[in-house]
Amino acid sequence: MKRRTPAVVIAIATLFLAGCGERPLNTFSDDSEIAGDLSTFLWWLLAVCAIVFVLVQGAVIYMSIKFRVDAPEDDDDIYPDDDFPEQIHGNTRLEIGWTILPTVIMAVVGVFTLGLLFDLDDVDARGSDPRIESVTVVGAQWWWEFQYHLTPAGLEAAGLPAGAEGPHIVTAGELPLPIGEEIALDVTSRDVIHSFWVPALNGKRDAVPGRTNPWTIQTLEEGRFPGECTEFCGLSHAYMEKWAVGLEQADWDAWAANQAADAVAPEDGTPAAEGWSVFANNCASCHVINGLTRMGSGGEGATDTFQIYDGANRLIDKQTQVSGAAPNLTHVMSRSTFGGGIFELYENPDSVPYLDLASDGDLNLGDLEAWIRNAPAVKANAWDSPGGQRGMTPFTALSDEDLDHLVAFLLTLD
Amino acid sequence: MAITEDRPLALEAGETTTVNDRPLGALTRPQSDVGWKSWFTTVDHKKIGIMYGVGSMFFFLVGGIEALLIRIQLSQPGNSFLSESVYNQVFTMHGVTMIFLVIMPMAAAFANYLLPLQVGARDVAFPRLNAFSFWCWLAGAIFLNTSWILGGAPDGGWFAYAPNTSVTFSPTNGMDYYAIGLQIAGIASLVSAINLIVTVLNMRAPGMTLLKMPIFTWMMLVVQFLLLFAVPVITIALFLLTFDRSYGASFFDVAAGGSPLLWQHLFWIFGHPEVYILILPAFGIISEIIPTFSRKPIFGYPFMVGSGIAIGFMGWGVWAHHMFVTGLGPISVAAFSLSTMFIAVPTGVKILNWLATMWGGRLRFNTPMLFAVGVIAMFTIGGLSGVTHSVSPSDTQQTDTYYIVAHFHYVIFGGALLGMFAGFYFWWPKVFGYKLNERWGKANYWLMLIGFNITFGPMHILGLQGMARRHHSYASEDGFGFWNMIVSIGSFIIGLGVLAFLINCWVSRRDYRAAGMPAIGPDPWDARSLEWSTASPTPVHNFDYDPVVEYQDDWWHQKWGKNDEGKIVRKAYPEDIAHDGSATDVHLPSPSYWPFVLSFSLPIIGYAVIYTHWLLIPAGVLFIAGFLGWALEPADDPEAAHGHDDHGHDDGHDDDDDPDDGGDDADGAAAEDEGASVG
Repeated sequence: MKRRTPAVVIAIATLFLAGCGERPLNTFSDDSEIAGDLSTFLWWLLAVCAIVFVLVQGAVIYMSIKFRVDAPEDDDDIYPDDDFPEQIHGNTRLEIGWTILPTVIMAVVGVFTLGLLFDLDDVDARGSDPRIESVTVVGAQWWWEFQYHLTPAGLEAAGLPAGAEGPHIVTAGELPLPIGEEIALDVTSRDVIHSFWVPALNGKRDAVPGRTNPWTIQTLEEGRFPGECTEFCGLSHAYMEKWAVGLEQADWDAWAANQAADAVAPEDGTPAAEGWSVFANNCASCHVINGLTRMGSGGEGATDTFQIYDGANRLIDKQTQVSGAAPNLTHVMSRSTFGGGIFELYENPDSVPYLDLASDGDLNLGDLEAWIRNAPAVKANAWDSPGGQRGMTPFTALSDEDLDHLVAFLLTLD
Repeated sequence: MAITEDRPLALEAGETTTVNDRPLGALTRPQSDVGWKSWFTTVDHKKIGIMYGVGSMFFFLVGGIEALLIRIQLSQPGNSFLSESVYNQVFTMHGVTMIFLVIMPMAAAFANYLLPLQVGARDVAFPRLNAFSFWCWLAGAIFLNTSWILGGAPDGGWFAYAPNTSVTFSPTNGMDYYAIGLQIAGIASLVSAINLIVTVLNMRAPGMTLLKMPIFTWMMLVVQFLLLFAVPVITIALFLLTFDRSYGASFFDVAAGGSPLLWQHLFWIFGHPEVYILILPAFGIISEIIPTFSRKPIFGYPFMVGSGIAIGFMGWGVWAHHMFVTGLGPISVAAFSLSTMFIAVPTGVKILNWLATMWGGRLRFNTPMLFAVGVIAMFTIGGLSGVTHSVSPSDTQQTDTYYIVAHFHYVIFGGALLGMFAGFYFWWPKVFGYKLNERWGKANYWLMLIGFNITFGPMHILGLQGMARRHHSYASEDGFGFWNMIVSIGSFIIGLGVLAFLINCWVSRRDYRAAGMPAIGPDPWDARSLEWSTASPTPVHNFDYDPVVEYQDDWWHQKWGKNDEGKIVRKAYPEDIAHDGSATDVHLPSPSYWPFVLSFSLPIIGYAVIYTHWLLIPAGVLFIAGFLGWALEPADDPEAAHGHDDHGHDDGHDDDDDPDDGGDDADGAAAEDEGASVG
């Protein structure tokens, strides 16, 4: 109990946030330094507002009781002629006073605001041995892509040659971070405006097509931190999540080494090999698998419809365009969610360590098969829109056998 | 609204000159100011005001039903009461409807009816233009809502952020209806702004200097200037959007070098002044009500006027606070953060001045006062949560969550709408000649206030819990279910409150007619401004003679004065000094078909842009006919008998008009009064 006010405020907060769910979406968090600062700042601000609130509402209620004249039953009646209060037309000194007072209060709030404001997208706590140079965050209808650019130390941890061209790791839906390292994000979009937000770790920043907005993220805790899209982006605006994942640095290194490796083609004659052929015929026009599909192998639609522009509005070299119209699936089984972060890939994501999900997790086969068969039936999209496809095509024509093979293939992508 | 027909106003057309004696034809100038047809041709600011009121109330029910649909959908996690597509249309239209088709025209209803009365004029400066404004608004509103049955309503949010509104991402015609419908409605706002500015600046009664105008007039004047400058900005944005969508332009298309942020800047340069366009009328209304029901003058009149003007000016410098997370860079964000904080100052001054007005007063809690005090209490909450977002760093957590939804509903519902309801109860007797029922009024107030707080209070908590806006649904693990259910229950309590208002309208009218339509007198509340110095309901010509103004709150000073000891004593009773509506030598501008014809050519042009340009032919014919008809027709019909001077008309109702008015035709002088009425 360091200071009195916050303790009282926290007690009220507990009361108010009593309905909170299992997922740490709430905005009062100290899971990162910035989130902690924002939360503390907001409590102070709310405390100031609470004082004004109590004073004004108190005045309204007090006056409503104290100065009330009972309305006569006959509502046509008006005041008696001689019942006048003192006719005060104003008091210049008082009014100048209560013009200056809020000005001073707001000026004080303003000073603190500016201090915090310039801290928000300033990367000042990269840690002693940072792994990540930056992460390009790309919003798309209706999923998130994360393209990691690693530092030399990060490259070494990932087992990549020094000086390898980025992006070094491309993944979707989940953003694993080494604990403690403050990381620079470059937020952009492929189509409409989205907004990147992981409330437990920082405020939000819009993903605007044609612009690259700087932002930062940091986690001080292990675990998964969900965040929803917060700029209206069409049909599945509500179904477009991303998860930041806090990993100890050693775990993160292991994760990175796995992610940086290409996928390996399944052995001939196995169900997985059958599945690879199903994938190549149905899925590869949109989904990239490093080592198996080639850039642009999905035909012209994939690269021509979705193009990524940098901040200066130039088309980024296609060599760096690392996914097709849909998420890169090279290590899809290493993730805990799919379908734009809204379906759990495993039944027990929080009881198995994140890195062991692919080996020890109980696969959520029902949702996965439903998704592959008919994605628009489980998450609204616009795959058949006259304006151009947005979202995954339904594959209702796949036979049960094909589907089994396809899942067997996907299971090799860990 | 048939009330004025029940108790005919003193100056209807005499029998010898009535339209019934003339051949009716499309090209015959309309004459009548009674009967249902007269509503289509009227140029009377009072009838137009009533039509704005009825129209906005209708769309209030529409927007309210949309709100209830949203709340049913969100009442429990994972609900699928509405599909994603329909949900997006419903929340878009809820916002568009409540802002453009409810609050703005409702304010226009008060402005139209009251501004000429408060400044002591007989009509607005350009009466036909005024009718045109109303019909344009209605045409735009109907056009917008026909999208529901013509392939889908707008689905890009009322803020319509590019590029989500492009044909690629919104392939239905919904956003076309949005862009064109709001351009049509925008013409109404713009024309009306010019009209009312000229009215207030040029047509005030002798002696009424600017600083003797009622606060309501002042606030509406500020609002008209805001409209005058803000509407063109949104019109440009909508025009560009129309060209992007219908003619393949690429103002907002990144791939073609356009900029999505251009839309955001244009939209919010309009959108933030718009917030003050919505709230200042309510500030004006309660600034009339609180003094009247406290029996004190407004505290600090110059500060009240000054802070209103300050809000109007500063409202232009804060738009980017809607864009704090767009990525403007910390310097711009810092500047807009500070400017937003300081706009809290004039607003705070207003609240404190209202409280000081109440201090030591004799507070009489009739329904108008209840609503007015409700505005102070509720708007304060909205203002305070507004301060928390002006702090841009913590706004990065709150923006686009339900915390914001809570905030602006406390401002727009708790401020603007409750203020309008205060106005309904306050001016109802002036408009219709009887008061609304107090008991139903209190039911209306408490249901609405309690329902409102149950609905929007918990949204603060939901927002801080992390619930994002415009989401079709939420997962049960999010833990939002409990408060969402409470919120949805609250929204239906608001619905009951609105129902109580409608019942009140019906009950009050029924009781009034059952009681034989007793006259209520010019000034039932012992009020302060000029509209109370004439009969209720207001005579068609407003004032029997030009009022001459000496003081701020002149009407109050006509009734009350000080004796030698400085004690306030009655000088006169309202019934003895008020205009009784018996003047018969007033010449008023004649009704006209053309504003109606001209305005309804506009939605046809809209359909032509969306569907086929062949529709431009009928639209063009109508447009040119309306335009020429209007231009060639004099403001006053030379063939109409001048002066509504024949009083031999008997309508079978009792009324307290003086039957002995002589009726000398003095329209030469009167026409001079209406010299500005050439619209």
